Amino acid sequence: MRIATIALLPLAAIPLLCVACGGSIPPPNDEYSAAQADVGRAEAGGAPGVPDAKLHLQLAQEDLAKSKTLIDQDNKRAADLIAVARVEAQLAFSLAKQQMAEDQARHAQGDLAKVKGGQ
Amino acid sequence: MRTTTILALLGGVLLSVAQGCGGDIPPPKALVDARTDYAKAKGGVALQVDPTDVHEADLALQRAEAAWRDSQDVKDEHTIDLAIIAQRKAQIAMAEAAASKAQQEAQQAKADLEAAMASQLQATRGELGKTQQNLQQTQSQLQQTAAMNEEQKKKLADLEAKLKDARDTIAKIAAVKDDDRGMVITLQGEVLFKTGKWDLKPAAMAKLDQIADALRGKEQPMVVFGYTDNVGAIDMNMDLSQKRAQSVRDYLVTKGIPSDLITSQGKGPAEPVAGNDSIEGRAQNRRVEIVVKPKKS
Repeated sequence: MRIATIALLPLAAIPLLCVACGGSIPPPNDEYSAAQADVGRAEAGGAPGVPDAKLHLQLAQEDLAKSKTLIDQDNKRAADLIAVARVEAQLAFSLAKQQMAEDQARHAQGDLAKVKGGQ
Repeated sequence: MRTTTILALLGGVLLSVAQGCGGDIPPPKALVDARTDYAKAKGGVALQVDPTDVHEADLALQRAEAAWRDSQDVKDEHTIDLAIIAQRKAQIAMAEAAASKAQQEAQQAKADLEAAMASQLQATRGELGKTQQNLQQTQSQLQQTAAMNEEQKKKLADLEAKLKDARDTIAKIAAVKDDDRGMVITLQGEVLFKTGKWDLKPAAMAKLDQIADALRGKEQPMVVFGYTDNVGAIDMNMDLSQKRAQSVRDYLVTKGIPSDLITSQGKGPAEPVAGNDSIEGRAQNRRVEIVVKPKKS
């Protein structure tokens, strides 16, 4: 009987640990706002006009919407989704920036070739 | 027996957990992708352009690896999320590096473009300057030509006026006419010479003085022709007419007519202006003609 009690003790501790992990995480409201700002920055940065960037922007928006439904219910999962949404939005912004920079470089190089061709 | 069974079960559970912690379980695809993209970012230009982005990707990957070590569950959402974050960070590092490289290329192309355009502008300005210079030279030449034309016109007008004055002056002392040879001044032989002689009479010299005064400075070629009537031998008449023409020519030279502009020629009885069958006719044929040729322009 004594041995059985000792063996069952770790199993009894598992639910207690789970409650401590999930329940103690505060709602990630600040992170959510930051993610919204990242999405807005990507939109303003031209992500909707660049196919690759648009895809990651959509993923960010989806993750953000999903996280909203989980806040106060599963804050840990919500925080993870928000973190993913943030990097998706940041990547969308960077891809749009890359595309625009490459377009500008191509345009400038084209202009240069025209001028040099006319010389 | 019951205690033994419980211990055996517990041992089985612990063995299973121990096996789960082993390295044989393949990691989730998201983590594999994250490792691949991080390797790309670390091996590409991203590390040179901005090491911070690559470092963030490295830290994120380390967190994902730690989560995987802890969970050893390919379906663990937290591990997968951390792997996705690590992959995205690596992709961000590469995109930022590519954007930076493209921006540098664009700036370089713009700088080259400005330099090329400046060079073209300078060349165009140079050509324009040359064209303007040529234009100014042409205008200057045109003005000079116009001035020269004007001067020549004025000279011609002066010359014509002087010629008219000369003609009017000469017309008072000799017969003057124009034919296809030019202006012809005719002096009768009796006025100039004694019969059979070619020395000029003093009265002739006075007339020739006036003619020389009128013709001096005209710079027009002249020919003095001597004529006789048909009385006497032709050879004698030819010789006499030549000598008389020469006398007139030489006298005019002494009076300032340039010697290279005036010549003489005896024609004898040729080209009579009247019949030789009367005294009056023969008198008219004995003559000296000074032909002033038009000036060659």
